[in-house]
Amino acid sequence: MDNRLIEAFFTAYPLTSISLYLIMIIGTVCFFRLSKDERKNIHYWLPFLILSFTFCYENLGNYTNYNYEFKKSVNEYLGNFKYPKFNLWLYNVATRQIGTVLYLLLIKSWTKASKKKYINWMIIVFIVTVCLLQFSGVEPIYLSQPIIFALGANMILVAVAFYFIDLITDPFYLAKKPLKLVSFWLMTSILFSITLSYISSVTLMYLYEVNPILGQGLQQIQIVMKIISLGVLTLVIASPFLPRLFDKELSYESY
Amino acid sequence: MNPTEDQIYVIIFSTLFLGGLMSTFVVAMVFIHRQRQAQNKQKLDQIKLEHEKTLLNIENEIQQETLTHIGRELHDNIGQLLSLAKLNFGSIKEHKREEGKEILNLVIKEVRGLSKQLNLDWVESISINEFIAQQLARIESTGFCQTTLHADVELDDLPKDQKLVLIRVIQESLNNAIKHASPEKIEIRIMENKREKQILITDNGKGFDSSQKSTGSGMFNLKKRMETVGGEFNLTSAVGKGTEIKLILPN
Repeated sequence: MDNRLIEAFFTAYPLTSISLYLIMIIGTVCFFRLSKDERKNIHYWLPFLILSFTFCYENLGNYTNYNYEFKKSVNEYLGNFKYPKFNLWLYNVATRQIGTVLYLLLIKSWTKASKKKYINWMIIVFIVTVCLLQFSGVEPIYLSQPIIFALGANMILVAVAFYFIDLITDPFYLAKKPLKLVSFWLMTSILFSITLSYISSVTLMYLYEVNPILGQGLQQIQIVMKIISLGVLTLVIASPFLPRLFDKELSYESY
Repeated sequence: MNPTEDQIYVIIFSTLFLGGLMSTFVVAMVFIHRQRQAQNKQKLDQIKLEHEKTLLNIENEIQQETLTHIGRELHDNIGQLLSLAKLNFGSIKEHKREEGKEILNLVIKEVRGLSKQLNLDWVESISINEFIAQQLARIESTGFCQTTLHADVELDDLPKDQKLVLIRVIQESLNNAIKHASPEKIEIRIMENKREKQILITDNGKGFDSSQKSTGSGMFNLKKRMETVGGEFNLTSAVGKGTEIKLILPN
């Protein structure tokens, strides 16, 4: 096998690549061991979709690092002639745009009907704003998109806050121990991952210029938080097999 | 310390601060959850206690009503029958003594029937439809007014608490109609749809202005009792236009 290929897919970012492959294997095995009804439940298929989607775009990211010509041609197609080595377009679309919508949908599936409509509106506003900012050229797709990231991150934080409001007001949640709820751990991991990614992405460019070691350290935190979040998503999929660890949760689908 | 170092420290502290803030938020949520959980448990215990108390009161009232009914029966019916039997046994005529024996058999039958009503086991065995039919037959036998029962459904699989509450509320609604409305006709309808069971009690009596707040606690108690079993009590009435009571139980 080509050494560059191995480097791009395995050794360049071993922490991300190997962890992601492991999580994806465990997640897939757990998902296909779920019953047919459970597989149709949004609480299980949406985490699996996010996991699969992350796996796909991370590997596509690895491939762009292997196939420079491909990356360059996409950059040129998008109008980026200045930075042909950048693959920010991929991460902008995958994490900051589609990823945000997917996480909002995931949080929405765990909230009460009264709050679902607010999250629906947030998704619509987010999509419209992204289209406006991107197509008007305010935030080109091939460069860092701080406004879109900040907007998405804030919306996710507000949606997580909705879940926590349900946690302290809903009679179902009041009858349960929060530490035994997989949704609680999922929301907590999203909360930490978004908050720490926020500060990391805001300061990353600056730190790489003045203190690259600290910049790398901060990015490592972001990577670790991302892996933890994906791990918790796998735990959500595996939760029916861990009845001693997690209580059965309420499905708001019928609301 | 140069400005660049300052900015790096700001970034480090901001990261730590945000991390700390999020941790505090999650821990605070868990604590608030625990506090509310304890309050909720206390509230649920109180509701449960109130529910049990209501059911106990209802059982007592039904027993009281039954005792009054038995007392009335002993005085008006069995007492009369025994007096008649005594007269017949005192007669020298053979056929009168035979009649006395028949009356005595009737008394034994009546007493057996009454004794069954002394405990609340009859509540378990009777359906709401049967209970309503009995109550209406009793009212009609007094010649007080005409009664009709239309039942689209047989309410025979209700839990005991719902049954007790319904029995008491129906009993009380009929008593109120007889006492206060002087109707010529009382009609009861039993219906069911996908969402709920309904019992409609209507009379063509005097009626009253139901928009005015009642000073008594009767209606309030009936409403409250229906609510303890998850049901509803709706009353509509107008002067001269009779009264309609709708009892709703969710399915």
